[in-house]
Amino acid sequence: MADVHPLQVVNLSKQFPRKKRLGSVQAVANISFNVRQGEIVGFIGHNGAGKTTTIKCILGLLKLTNGRISLWDDVPAHPNVRKRIGYIPENPDYDDSFHPMEYLRMFASMRGLADVNSEWMKLLKRVGLTGWETTRIRQFSKGMRQRMSLALALQSNPDLLIMDEPTGGLDPIARKEFREIILEENKRGASVFLSSHILSDVETICDRAVILSGGKLMAEGSMTDLLGEEHLYRITVISRKTGEEVEETIPEADLQSRIDSIRKDNLPIVKVEMALKSLEDVFMAATGGEKQ
Amino acid sequence: MKRVCIPISTLILIPVTLTLLLFTGCQTDYDITDVAPADFLDSEEHAPHDCDIDHDHSDGECEEESPEELPLDDHVEDSHAGHDHAPGTRNHGTQWFFNQPWAAPFIWKKLFRDGGIFLALAVAVFFISGRRRKK
Amino acid sequence: MKAVFTFSLMTLRMLFRRRTLWGILLVILLALAGIASVPSFDVSNQGRFILDFGLFGIEVGALLLALGLAATLFPRDRETRTLMPLIAVPLARWQYLLGRFMGAALVQAAALLVTCLGLMLILLFHRLPIPGDLLPATLLIIIEGWFLLSTVFFFSFFTSPPLNWPLTTMLFIVSQMSVAEFVGIMPSAPGLMRTIRMILPHADVFHIKDPIAHGFEIEPVYFLIAIFYGLCYSAFMLSLALAVFRGRDLK
Repeated sequence: MADVHPLQVVNLSKQFPRKKRLGSVQAVANISFNVRQGEIVGFIGHNGAGKTTTIKCILGLLKLTNGRISLWDDVPAHPNVRKRIGYIPENPDYDDSFHPMEYLRMFASMRGLADVNSEWMKLLKRVGLTGWETTRIRQFSKGMRQRMSLALALQSNPDLLIMDEPTGGLDPIARKEFREIILEENKRGASVFLSSHILSDVETICDRAVILSGGKLMAEGSMTDLLGEEHLYRITVISRKTGEEVEETIPEADLQSRIDSIRKDNLPIVKVEMALKSLEDVFMAATGGEKQ
Repeated sequence: MKRVCIPISTLILIPVTLTLLLFTGCQTDYDITDVAPADFLDSEEHAPHDCDIDHDHSDGECEEESPEELPLDDHVEDSHAGHDHAPGTRNHGTQWFFNQPWAAPFIWKKLFRDGGIFLALAVAVFFISGRRRKK
Repeated sequence: MKAVFTFSLMTLRMLFRRRTLWGILLVILLALAGIASVPSFDVSNQGRFILDFGLFGIEVGALLLALGLAATLFPRDRETRTLMPLIAVPLARWQYLLGRFMGAALVQAAALLVTCLGLMLILLFHRLPIPGDLLPATLLIIIEGWFLLSTVFFFSFFTSPPLNWPLTTMLFIVSQMSVAEFVGIMPSAPGLMRTIRMILPHADVFHIKDPIAHGFEIEPVYFLIAIFYGLCYSAFMLSLALAVFRGRDLK
């Protein structure tokens, strides 16, 4: 029997209708991927690539034009599925006349959880909102609203965390704290689907990545596959013509022969170092460096 | 095989159209003229007259039309007499059926029937739209 | 249903914290005080005048409250993206709609009861008797208010608040017209007009201001049937609103 994945997206397409005679906009075109149990999957792409549209389709906020989405083999927005999901929207906002404690209590009641004050205090402490429990949300900064959003998402100990740009606009310390919480949740057993612009975050914590561009799937695979197992080396030499330093990246297998050939040409070698391929290189290569 | 999708508007239009047919199939509506006893309509004092909406309720030219009037509180008894209006027009809101004993059960039946129809429609629309969303 | 009750409580708290409610309530109470200050020829006429126009004022108040409380609820939730975390995780769409409706309906009912109390105080101030049916009459206006609220919700899912106001007000006016009056708008197509009018709500069944002002005895069964009709029509409007909402993409 095939594994039941927390999230499975098969041939998903989403078109948005426009005014008559203008046709429709293809936001996402025929993409397929999945999130396996206990995995952290990064979902990366430039602005307008279709990341948020895909997430909204997964959550049942948008109707699919084509394809199929299943969460633990069930349809999106099914009550049984919804109970197991924690969601952090992009730029979260809440009714600003309430305070975090009120929100946590009401969400707990709506989710059918026991209202345990001490638990919510602990949760707010965990996301860094200690001392702000009874402050109206209207006084919160963007970062604090994001922390509150994280608290609401973690409240039910979800089996799948769906995060849409959770660290966008956060300072480096807050980003680190967010990353640590994501890793803790993953350790607890939760699968994570993380959409982000910040490639270094994805590279640091994700097991796999899905790269989207112009609504199309450009690459998908484990970090090891994407970044490549082959070691590359960077050789810096001084050019005879210009007198400036010139860098050259070559595979490990060709390293010795290349050094021999440089020596033969009597070119001074400044340094030889290991060249690490970054997710940014993979992303730029996959998307052709294009900004649509 | 390609699945045939019926637009939601069509699915809602079906029960609405059925209701329209049901309504028009009924011989009577909310107008008093459709069900008023002949003697009521024929009687001279119930014919349309010039008495206006008369929201100030002053006792004016309609006073002399005062027919067999009704049980009233002390403070309004005198001033109310003679406030029957043209059948079929409800210048005073629901007043017309409160002062016509035969009209009250008529309107109750109508309200009850319509309430039932709208409730059935509400349930139908709720389930139809829910089924479509699940798909 | 627990989720719906919690969400309606959340809506109730939110609406009580908004200035709109208090502003509209103040306007209605001031209008009632204004009606009471109009001089009349004699005491009996003044009592009737205050009751008649007072109940009319409360009824218009029900319309204003429905529009003021509900017209911006969904558009605001969408604009501020408060809707997303709610609909995505703890609530289904019908629970969202019912929760918002119930919260707004409770606030509206409380506000209308306050205006009824205001009318009673005005009658007492003028040393006029308070009719026993004044409270049931206000109850009928509350039911009419809920019908208007469900109409406002229906329009709010596909129009903007500036368009919602005239559309709901137009339906409010039409729902007061008799079949004969409605046919009079387009006498060339009486059959069509009669049919349309029969589908449209008969909100005049909620107006018993005249019978009350005139001291008629109103049988309790009338209240029950009118309430039944009002609740069923509101349920119908809410189901239409839900059908529109369910068909919408939440971008």
